[in-house]
Amino acid sequence: MSDGVAVRVTGISKRFGNHVAVDDVSFEVPTGVIYGVLGPNGAGKSTTLRMMNDIIAPDRGTIELLDGLAPGTAAAPFVGFLPEERGLYPKMRVLEMLAFMGELRGLTGREAKRRGGSWLERLGLSQWHKNRVQDLSKGMQQKVQFAAALIHDPELVILDEPWSGLDPINADVLRDVVREQKAAGRTVVFSTHQMEQAEKICEHICIIARGKKVLEGRLPEVKRAAAAAGRVALGFASVADRARAARVFDDRALATVRAAQPGDEVDVEDPLALEVELASGVDSQALLAGLLGAGAALHRFEVVTPSLHQIFVERVGRHEAQIALRSEEPTP
Amino acid sequence: MRAAPRRAGLPAWMVIARRELIERVRTPWFVIVTILGPVLMIASVVVPALLASNVDTSARIAIVDHSKIVGPALVSKLAAVQWKAELVPTETTEAELLHRVRDDRIDGFLVIPAQAPRGGAVIYQGDNATNDRSMRMLGALVMQTELELRGLADGLSPARIDALLAPVDFQPRHTTGEAGGSSGVAALIVGYAVMFVLYIAIVLYAVNVLRSVVQEKTNRVVEIMIAAAKPRALMLGKILGVGAVGLLQISLWTAMAVVTMTFRGSILGVFGVEAAGWSVPPLAAVDIVVVLLYFLLGYFFYASIYAAVGAMVSSEQEAQQVQAPIAMLLVIPVVCVRLVSSNPRGGTAQLLTLIPFSSPVLMPMRWLLGGATLGDLLASLAILVVSTLIAARVAAKIYRVGILMYGKRPSLRELLRWLRY
Repeated sequence: MSDGVAVRVTGISKRFGNHVAVDDVSFEVPTGVIYGVLGPNGAGKSTTLRMMNDIIAPDRGTIELLDGLAPGTAAAPFVGFLPEERGLYPKMRVLEMLAFMGELRGLTGREAKRRGGSWLERLGLSQWHKNRVQDLSKGMQQKVQFAAALIHDPELVILDEPWSGLDPINADVLRDVVREQKAAGRTVVFSTHQMEQAEKICEHICIIARGKKVLEGRLPEVKRAAAAAGRVALGFASVADRARAARVFDDRALATVRAAQPGDEVDVEDPLALEVELASGVDSQALLAGLLGAGAALHRFEVVTPSLHQIFVERVGRHEAQIALRSEEPTP
Repeated sequence: MRAAPRRAGLPAWMVIARRELIERVRTPWFVIVTILGPVLMIASVVVPALLASNVDTSARIAIVDHSKIVGPALVSKLAAVQWKAELVPTETTEAELLHRVRDDRIDGFLVIPAQAPRGGAVIYQGDNATNDRSMRMLGALVMQTELELRGLADGLSPARIDALLAPVDFQPRHTTGEAGGSSGVAALIVGYAVMFVLYIAIVLYAVNVLRSVVQEKTNRVVEIMIAAAKPRALMLGKILGVGAVGLLQISLWTAMAVVTMTFRGSILGVFGVEAAGWSVPPLAAVDIVVVLLYFLLGYFFYASIYAAVGAMVSSEQEAQQVQAPIAMLLVIPVVCVRLVSSNPRGGTAQLLTLIPFSSPVLMPMRWLLGGATLGDLLASLAILVVSTLIAARVAAKIYRVGILMYGKRPSLRELLRWLRY
C-alpha cells in the first residue's frame, strides 16, 4: 500500500460453534518489517493467519493485503504461506514438488523448476532433488515446505509457527532466510509461542491471548515501556546495607521486593542481591535517591529490561503462559 | 488498488490435473493394471466357461429303474460317454443311495418312474448336478432313450427313429434392423463386456478420487494447497486429472480389444478353436463415442459425489464406511443388467437408462444391443448431463467446507448448512 502498510487487519472475529477463536482483533504490519504474532496455543494466531490467506473467512471485519488486495486468488501470487499443519505429497520428487507449488502460484513450468533448484541449493538439499519427499527427514521436509512457501518470491511471507520441530541449526538457517527476505524489502509475518525466537528476530510484535489483542508495537518500544514500568536489580555492599534498604521498601511507597521467579535478573541465592518492582508512578531515580538517603551502599543499581518472555508472561498471565509452554491445544 | 496480475503459467486447475495425471501414469501400477486388466477380465469369463465345458467323463451313477425298460438302454448309452452307470434293485431305499453319495461311492443316482417312457418325472440327485454341461448331456441322453423307446413301441424302425431324431440346426442372429445380423451370443458378450468395463472403470477411478482426497487430508497437504489454489480448482483439477488417467486406460483397452478382434482368427486358432461363425457385431465409430461419453459423464457424476464424501471424512476407514451406500448405487445397475439385456426395448430398460445412477453403466449396453432410439439416447444423456452439473455443484460446496474439517463427521443437518455457505 502506498501508506507503507503490508497487512491491515480491521476488527476481525471468528467463531467456531460457541467458541470464539478470534475476537475483534485489529493490527497493521508496516511494509518491509519482520512482524511476530505471539500468543499461547489456542490464542487465535493460526486462525488469524489462516484468515489472512483466505483459508477461512472472518465472520466480521476486513483484511487488506499489500495494495488493498483481498486475501485469496487476487493476492495469491504475492503472498507466500507456510501453514501450521504441514504436509507434502510423500510420493513426489522433491524438485517436482517445489516446481508444482511454484506453478500453482502462477509461475511458468520452466521458471518454477529453475527457482526450485536454486532454493534446494540455498537450503543445502541439492543432492536430494531427485528423491521422493518421503525419503527426506522431517527437518529436511520442513525446509522444502519453507521453500515451497517462498518459491514465487512473494512480497508478503506468512509463516505459521515456522520454528516448531526444527533443530537449532535449521532454526538458524530459517532465521537467516527470514532476514534475507527483509533485506530484499519483503514483509514477513509469523506466529510463534517461542519467545526466544521472536526476540531474536522481530521488529514488531502483536500479542494475542484468548482471541483478543493484548499488546502491539515495535519491540524496542514495548521493552522500553515495560522497563519504565518495571523492575530494578540491586546489589548491596554488605548485609547491613541490605537491612537498611529493607526499611525503605517496608512502606511500599517507592518499591516492593519481588518474589523470586525463574528468569529473574538477580541470583536468588545471593543474600546481597535483590530485585524490586517500582511502585506505580515512581521513577527509578527517586528510588536511587531514597536508597542513598537511607545510607544503603550499592554495588549495583540496574533498571532491568525484561525479556520478551517476561513481558509475555506478565501480559498474558502466568497460568496461560504455562499452558503455552506445555504446547497443548486447550479444548474449546 | 493494484490490478490482479495475469498469471504467467497455467491456471491452477490445470497444474493440479497435470500432476494427478503424471503421478499416476508413472506408477508401476498403471502399467500393470493396463496390461493385466483385460487379461483378468477375459480370464474371468473364459476360465469358468472352460471349466464348465469339461464334461465329467468319470461320473459314477446308480439307476433305480421302476420302468424296467429305460434303464438298460440308458446304461449302454452312458457307457459310450465313459459314465459308469449301474442298475440297482428297485427296492433300494433313497436313504441308502444318499448314504452312498455321502461316502463318495457314487456321484449321484437317477430314479426312473414306472410310467416311463410314457410320462412321469425322471429325477437325478448327485454332487455333479451343478455341472451344467454334464446335466445337459445326461438330460439329452435320457430324452433320446425315452424317445427311441416310444418310437420302437409304436413300431418304427431304428433307421426311421434315427432320421426323426436327427439334430436341427437352429442359429439365433442378433439384429435391430441392419443387414447381416451377428450371432446373438456375440452381441450379448460385447454388450456385457462394455457394461462391465464401464462399471469397473467408473468405480476404479471415482474411488481413486475419494482416496486421493482423503490422503491429502490425512497428510495435511491440503493446507498448503488450499493456500495456493481455490478449493474448487483443487477438486476440478483432481477429478479431471484422475479422469484423464481413466480415459487413457480405457483408450488403451479399446485399442487392445480392436487388435484382438481383428486378429481373433489367429488368436483363437492358437487355442484350437474355430473362429468361423463368430461374426462379431459391427462396432461403429458412433458406438465408441457413446461408450466414451457415458464413461466420462458417469465418471464425473460419481467422482463428484466421491470427492464430497472424501472431504467429509477424516480417515480411510471412515471413508470405507461412508462410501458403501454410494457403491450400492453402482452395484444396482449391474444386478439389473439382465432386465436390460433380455429386453432392451422394454419399459424397465427405458427407466433404468434414464436414471443417472444407472444410465452410465446400462445405456451403452442397451445402445449396442439396439434397444435405444436416438431419442432415448439424447434424453438419457440430457438427464445425465444435468445431474452431473448438479452433483458437481453440490459436491464443490461440501468439498470447500469439509476439506478443512478434521474430526467429527458432519451430520445431515450440518451438511445442509455447508451448502448454504
